[in-house]
Amino acid sequence: MRRILRLMMLAAGSYRREYVRCLQSSLAASVVQAAAYATLIPLLYELTRPQVDEAAAWGWFGAFAACYVAETVLRLYELRFQYSKWADVLAEARLRLGEKLRTMPQPELERRAAGDLSTVVGGNVANATTGVSTLGLLFTQLVTVPAVLGVIIAVVDWRLGLVLAVSVPFAVFFVRRIQRLSGSGFRGIDAADARAADRIVEYVQGLPLLKATGQVGRQSRRLADALHAQGEAMTSMQKRVTWPGLLASSVVQLCLVAMVAVGAALVLGLDLSPALLLAVAAGAVRFAEPLATASAMSQVFELTDAALERVGDVLACRPLPVGAPEARIGRFDLAFEEVSFSYDETPVLRGVSFTAPERSLTALVGPSGSGKTTITRLLTRYADPASGTVRIGGLDLRDLDPAEIYRHVSVVFQDVYLFDDTIRANIAMARPDATDEEVEAAARAANVHEFVSRLPDGYDTRVGEIGGALSGGERQRISIARAILKDAPIVLLDEPTAALDTESEVAVQNAIDALVADKTVLVIAHRLTTVAGADQILVLEDGRITERGTHAELIAAGGRYATMWAAQTRARHWRVPSTAT
Amino acid sequence: MSATISSTSTAEKREPAPPEGPPVTGPSPGRALIGVMEPVHGRLLTSIAVAATAAVLGVAGFALVALALRELLEPVPDPATVFRLLGGALAGLLARFGLRALSFHLSHLASFELEVELRTRLAEHLARIPLGEAQRLGSGAVKKVVQDDVRALHIAVADSVPLAGFTLAQPVAALVALGLLDWRLLLAVLALGPIVMIGMRLATRDYADTRRAYDEANEAINAAVVEFVQGMPVVRTFDDGTSSFRRFATRVHAFTRATAAWQESSRSSMIFSRAMMAPLPALVIILAAGVWLTASGSMSPATLVVALVIGTLPIESIMPLMWLAHHINESKAGAARISALLAIPPLPEPERPEQPADGSIRFRDVRFSYGPDGAGRPALDGVDLDIPSGTVCALVGPSGSGKSTVARLIPRFWDVTGGEILVGGVDVRRIPAEVLLRHVSMVFQDPFLLEDTIAANIRLARPEASDAEVEAAARAAQAHDFIVSELPHGYQTRVGERGARLSGGQRQRITIARAMLAEAPIVILDEATAFADPENEAAIQDAIAELTRGRTVVVIAHRLSTVADADQIVVLDSGRVAERGTHRQLLDAGGRYARLWAHHQRARTWALGSAARAEDPAVTR
Ligand SMILES: Nc1ncnc2c1ncn2[C@@H]1O[C@H](COP(=O)(O)OP(=O)(O)OP(=O)(O)O)[C@@H](O)[C@H]1O
Ligand SMILES: Nc1ncnc2c1ncn2[C@@H]1O[C@H](COP(=O)(O)OP(=O)(O)OP(=O)(O)O)[C@@H](O)[C@H]1O
Ligand SMILES: [Mg+2]
Ligand SMILES: [Mg+2]
Repeated sequence: MRRILRLMMLAAGSYRREYVRCLQSSLAASVVQAAAYATLIPLLYELTRPQVDEAAAWGWFGAFAACYVAETVLRLYELRFQYSKWADVLAEARLRLGEKLRTMPQPELERRAAGDLSTVVGGNVANATTGVSTLGLLFTQLVTVPAVLGVIIAVVDWRLGLVLAVSVPFAVFFVRRIQRLSGSGFRGIDAADARAADRIVEYVQGLPLLKATGQVGRQSRRLADALHAQGEAMTSMQKRVTWPGLLASSVVQLCLVAMVAVGAALVLGLDLSPALLLAVAAGAVRFAEPLATASAMSQVFELTDAALERVGDVLACRPLPVGAPEARIGRFDLAFEEVSFSYDETPVLRGVSFTAPERSLTALVGPSGSGKTTITRLLTRYADPASGTVRIGGLDLRDLDPAEIYRHVSVVFQDVYLFDDTIRANIAMARPDATDEEVEAAARAANVHEFVSRLPDGYDTRVGEIGGALSGGERQRISIARAILKDAPIVLLDEPTAALDTESEVAVQNAIDALVADKTVLVIAHRLTTVAGADQILVLEDGRITERGTHAELIAAGGRYATMWAAQTRARHWRVPSTAT
Repeated sequence: MSATISSTSTAEKREPAPPEGPPVTGPSPGRALIGVMEPVHGRLLTSIAVAATAAVLGVAGFALVALALRELLEPVPDPATVFRLLGGALAGLLARFGLRALSFHLSHLASFELEVELRTRLAEHLARIPLGEAQRLGSGAVKKVVQDDVRALHIAVADSVPLAGFTLAQPVAALVALGLLDWRLLLAVLALGPIVMIGMRLATRDYADTRRAYDEANEAINAAVVEFVQGMPVVRTFDDGTSSFRRFATRVHAFTRATAAWQESSRSSMIFSRAMMAPLPALVIILAAGVWLTASGSMSPATLVVALVIGTLPIESIMPLMWLAHHINESKAGAARISALLAIPPLPEPERPEQPADGSIRFRDVRFSYGPDGAGRPALDGVDLDIPSGTVCALVGPSGSGKSTVARLIPRFWDVTGGEILVGGVDVRRIPAEVLLRHVSMVFQDPFLLEDTIAANIRLARPEASDAEVEAAARAAQAHDFIVSELPHGYQTRVGERGARLSGGQRQRITIARAMLAEAPIVILDEATAFADPENEAAIQDAIAELTRGRTVVVIAHRLSTVADADQIVVLDSGRVAERGTHRQLLDAGGRYARLWAHHQRARTWALGSAARAEDPAVTR
């Protein structure tokens, strides 16, 4: 009970004061409700007397009616919270979660799938807040009414009260049992739901691939398994709680029959007036009803509890610590000092050191999987290095507020990600206050403007999920326009032209070139020709920098870079097999 | 309530869930609801019958308790009669609880089965409709339908069905019992009729617009979260806490507003039903009549007790349905959306299926547009292609010219708007989808991996392939080395959502391995090596050359030098074939391709950075 209350307060967030007030009126309403039922006892007693005192009977009736009115008013007051605050509580909780997702270390985020998180933010949190707005009230009612009524009955006749009281431990026992069973059941269902949600998102996003490999519908083992597991989880839970549920709800009603039976025996033994038994029975019916419901409700507490737990789990995730949140970046040179990093057990970077002076162009080259993208990630504090230090402007990233880092860094990612919105919105997200002219200028520089102007809706064309309604090259250019518009002093470019045709590539390279004039640029490219003019080229192999220098120096050295250069020249003359060969 | 989620729903009864509105297309919500329940109709009817029996037995049990009390009020009560009546009551109540639990059990199991069945059907249907339709819906919205809307049916199927049995049988039984005891009390209770009717009407009233707004707001949140999470690196670096996070925040606030609007529209009915649809008001009326009748001596107080017990049953049996009304409305809306999705016409399957004869591909005057019903800007505008079996055809051309579109039409992800596509001499519309998809293997421009192991991702193409074959394919794609040396669990390493735990080039090589394993007569490579480093690229291309010998290959590439030796090169421009021929022929023709080639040569010598900054201002067109 304590724990539930604590969880509810947690979910109520900053609305806990209102919530407590609402619980109080719920308590008052329940007491009044019980009082109403209690007036049935004197009323019926009055009516069963040989000589009915009509005035007294109507008086008790009046008391009953008055209680009804009072109860209704109090309940309406109680409903106000649900009615006017529920949505606010939910919104607050969702925004809290959103903020959490944004500050959560990226690897932590990647461990959880998008579908899973959308279940938490979309569904679990709604369940949790609904629990808060409904359950507390319901529970107050369910506990208070029988308690008050039971005490009154016991005062009227302790023996009858005792029989009723016997049902309580039974009910509590079964309720506990259900709680235990459904607690683990709901956790199982939640987990199965989350997994199914992931698989559905994956299924839709991967539909082209799945179609091409014939893994659709019933043939899609992954989806089918997840769906069946989901059905299984629900069915097994249903089966487990059926019996305890049945017993919990019937035990109370059966005690009522038992009470009448005991009462009858007493009446027959002339130990109790029949009038009193009649009166108490009328009240006792109302005693049983809520208790039976309470036993069923207990599962709902568990549902809420499971939901709260998942929500709490996300909320409890700690953001990367910030050493000196007030620090501000003053210069824009980059430095890696003996940086090592690993995603899992396997080391990906091993003692990487380099500096990139302000307004210089540094190129990262090296085989696929050597850790190039990882270096750019560390520069945006994707995660902290296992050892060593990453610095911007001489400041350790661990001492910087992430927002301060993001403000000064612009990135073109290897995996282009566009939001399901208009082209304009996707570019302008880099600088929400940018004018249409500025957006267009950035678009021109990235060679976007030309194809956009051919679209019927121009910049207001929607790009589809992950940019799916655009061609690969179009998407990439939009992401470049976004980076250009941001106009940050540090620019990280990860294979910015991999999906571009030669003409676009040249245009985009020119734009990037212009960018370099007054920015610190780190560029990753496989086509070595595109980086041959860099101020310094770092050759990364297996997580180590094995060579560094300018193009001319590296060619002259005749090392790894020279080999790669030669390989590339070979690749140029590669041919698709033709029937002729 | 004996049931898992039935109790959930009862508990959520006061959640301000919105009423519902009509779906975009498809049958009316009510009809849709009945329609989607179709697979389990029989069991639901059984559940209703069992619930109704339980209700009647329950009323009988209560009536017997009351009769026992009446006997006790007699001047000389007969103990045997009293205990016989109480025994009967006990039996009736026990049977009531047992049957009630049984009916919920039946409906719940039926509902769980229905969920799995519907989700599977939806998934199957999604794969049969044109890809574009599925993508237009988006994964967030589809997840909502497949997951949440199907779940919303639960209330209607698992909880409302037995409750409906109760609601029908219990009031009738209660009224009959009441009439048998005292017809005047029956009249008093019947006076509640209009109130009940009004309450029901209000509770089930449909606030179509507000509910639709609420639904859309809810769906938008779902989509926003998926986006927010998957695009987080972009969100973080391009967002100062106001723009993209704002996308999410805006939707959260829109949801709050939609909820408020719904609450506004349903406020009066909520207050009415809260105040009237409860045992207390019914008791007030029964008591008023009872006190009057008993005090005047024309009715026994025991009869009044009976009336107090069963007189509230009509209202009490309606209450759960009223609590659930919002949820039932939600179920209906969900059912409507499910039916609407299932009503999207699938790509028609051939009546007389034919088998492709070989690996040849022909496009005859193909027109295609991504817009709905072929409307909108054409992506392909009269494309003719003739790719003989076993030859290599390269598609080149500027970004957005339609290369990937050509590739996607071959396995019939979409149907052409005009013209026809022949694979192995047969129109793709006459080839069964399964056969066609097995005939064509494809490497996509965006490598997509499933959140599974490396081996499973490669094996996707041919689930029965042996480990040795998987490894051979991985070797050909130059993936074997990094798989065993750089990944923590080798072939059993999980790749993360969308393959996020691999580097770009690694991802691409896995998809190549997958295509190599497929052994389809037609191989389509869309920018398959864009992220490969030069050394790997050369090795991969050698391997592809080896493995695709004798198969038909369609290769899309921006780096012209990589395709210069293809049997034919097709230059696309704005959805049309601008030129075709071999590398030599096209260079000699001095047209579009020759210009692209010149560009290409120049780009290769062009370099980023200070040294090259002054070079070639002419390239900007
Ligand atoms: N999120 C991640 N979780 C676990 N391992 C990862 C993750 N991202 C990358 N890796 C692993 O780290 C290594 C380096 O990856 P990285 O993306 O930095 O390579 P890269 O040099 O950018 O390669 P490419 O040229 O193919 O893009 C690879 O072996 C990769 O499998
Ligand atoms: N799913 C889609 N919905 C709507 N329009 C689309 C969709 N996919 C592509 N398009 C549009 O169709 C045109 C042709 O796209 P396609 O992907 O075939 O180009 P592409 O030649 O492959 O280009 P790239 O080299 O950039 O990949 C483009 O203008 C693009 O915007
Ligand atoms: Mg990379
Ligand atoms: Mg393409």
